[in-house]
Amino acid sequence: MLREAETEERYSRQIRFAPIGTQGQRRLGEASVLVVGAGALGASLAQHMIRAGVGRLRLVDRDYVELSNLHRQTLYDEEDAEAALPKAVAAAAKLRRVNGRARIEAFVADVDRRNAESLAADVDLVLDGTDNAATRLMLSDACFSRGIPLVYGGVAGSGGMTALLVPGDHCCLRCLLGEEETGSDGAPTCDTLGVISPAVEMVAALQAAEALKALTGNRSALRGTWLTLDAWHFAVKEWKLPPPVEPCPYCGWGESAAAARRELAEHGDSVRLSASGERAKEQNATEAALLGVRRAVAAEDVSIADRSESATGNALFGDDREAAKLIVLCGRDTFQLALKPSVSLSEWRRRLVAAGCAITADNRYLLRASTAAEERIVIFAEGRALIQGAGEPERAMEIYRHYLSDGTGREADETSVGF
Amino acid sequence: MKRPLDFKLYVITGENYHPGRGMLEVMEAALRGGADIVQLRDKMSPKRELIEKAKRLKELTAKYGVPLIVNDHPDVALAADADGVHLGQDDLPIEAARELLGPGRIIGISTHRIEQARAAERAGADYIGVGPVYPTGTKPGRKAVTTAYVAQAAAEIGIPFVAIGGITETNAEEVLWAGARRLCAVSAIVGHDNPESVCRNLLGKINAWHLGEQVALAESVSLSVPVSLSAPMPAPGDVREIDVVVNGRSERTQAATLLELAAEYKLEGRSVIAELDGAVVPRQLWGETPLQGGGSVEFVHFVGGG
Repeated sequence: MLREAETEERYSRQIRFAPIGTQGQRRLGEASVLVVGAGALGASLAQHMIRAGVGRLRLVDRDYVELSNLHRQTLYDEEDAEAALPKAVAAAAKLRRVNGRARIEAFVADVDRRNAESLAADVDLVLDGTDNAATRLMLSDACFSRGIPLVYGGVAGSGGMTALLVPGDHCCLRCLLGEEETGSDGAPTCDTLGVISPAVEMVAALQAAEALKALTGNRSALRGTWLTLDAWHFAVKEWKLPPPVEPCPYCGWGESAAAARRELAEHGDSVRLSASGERAKEQNATEAALLGVRRAVAAEDVSIADRSESATGNALFGDDREAAKLIVLCGRDTFQLALKPSVSLSEWRRRLVAAGCAITADNRYLLRASTAAEERIVIFAEGRALIQGAGEPERAMEIYRHYLSDGTGREADETSVGF
Repeated sequence: MKRPLDFKLYVITGENYHPGRGMLEVMEAALRGGADIVQLRDKMSPKRELIEKAKRLKELTAKYGVPLIVNDHPDVALAADADGVHLGQDDLPIEAARELLGPGRIIGISTHRIEQARAAERAGADYIGVGPVYPTGTKPGRKAVTTAYVAQAAAEIGIPFVAIGGITETNAEEVLWAGARRLCAVSAIVGHDNPESVCRNLLGKINAWHLGEQVALAESVSLSVPVSLSAPMPAPGDVREIDVVVNGRSERTQAATLLELAAEYKLEGRSVIAELDGAVVPRQLWGETPLQGGGSVEFVHFVGGG
């Protein structure tokens, strides 16, 4: 009873807003939301959800807080940047202070094909705060396979765009954009065009508004449009979203879509869909892993998908990566690659110091070191590294071979550069 | 009285990039491809040799009505009757070069940050170089300024500026996106087997953005994300033509479907969202979406940041 009174007091102004009311507020309290990315959009989205009273928030991010984030990423401060905290960790700490009642699950991880579906498995809505088209397409696949609404948002410069894509009502992002993964043809990002905070907040605010409508059962109030805006020149345009594309294996409904789904499940990328028995087993395993991680989350203040906390967590975050695969991350000067997760952070620290690096940050989630040429190596506990300031991919691979291969020479031999 | 300087595609010599081919031969190919300003850069040759090269290059560029700029040396520029000089930040100050060259010749200077660009504009430079946008072999060891500086220059600088450094056909769009309207390339052009076609392609991209600006101006609202459109090439023969509004601008086209229209604007393989008469059209339906006269189409770039 006390708890209910507190809820009523806390959310009184939001409950007074007629379309939400007591019933809408209750629905928010029962809702689970996944926010992917805790950068500018993601941090703002997470805050909107937590303040509004969403019962459970799952937050995933692969990056850490830097000074250059602070002008637009409103959850973080100088202390976070100084401590080089992973964004998911710093965000969870802030959000818990904002609303101690909410269940917050924070994951320091890169979202990939393997974990996208598991992360989205048991949520009511997915909010997109990512910074690249490839991850968005994976999220779209995962959401449409499972019938979960996806709120896309993107921002660059002073402009942005957003749309709530509802499986069954609209076509998926893959159909809108075409099959080819995007981002390599000069489409604008924050790194090329810069970005201003008001543009971020406008897009995030519109994403959050659609999320609130969807979560409180205000379906008829959903915009149903693809919206483009510019905060600097002030302009807003919107266009009606198209219905599902009949033969698409993700958003389609007809016989050809079903056939395409079977085809995908049998011969295609087997992790895309969970139709086969093998896949279902894998699904169970990853869900168990997710539960394991979640328990660790509940026990700890904040958590990561770290083998030391959850032995099964590895299954979720792709422990079987063998060779280093170089991914260009957020613009042209950060490269990401997978490491052998069997090496601990303290062991990495020892190796990097022995190799002549200066350690510039060391916390339980990551280790940051500076090479003699002042390139930065960031190693995350889950077995992932960022190489910053290398300029060229060739140089990034050199750094990898010199500092990060495990000494047996095995990894370097297997290395494939894929970007 | 010199005529106001304008150009789109700036090509610089780089003889080390084309061993076995003569400098004049390569530069003539670039000029045929549409280079509309040329710089002689040669840090190796002794001055006398440089003057000879400059004279021969000047004859060539004059044939195409294109100005010749000499890197670093006002005296060489004068001796060869070149049209101007290009300075680095550590070379002769602009004022001193102006005194040597007089008001009639062009003076340009390389800048690597906005303070240098402002100073150059104040000192009376006719144009500035902005870069290196990307890491480049022509200037090893110089940190790339990224397209962020290009955007800054576009917002602030009144004199013509040319983006330079590691620019290729692949990344040109990104530089243009950031606000550059003049591009410069060295290795991508002179190091290529066919400098003429590279120039033609780069110029096509630049022209597309010039037109894109006109399109944006024609719109009652100006979004930061409209796709720039180059004018469709009319195909020969007697074909049905209709008038459609594309990104706010009335266009005559022979395209029968949205896909054909997108192809006319060279949007295949690019992350673009298309709208027809107020509704988004899924990519794979472009081919079966007919265009009607009076229809309104918008192409917008998919925004990837977050």
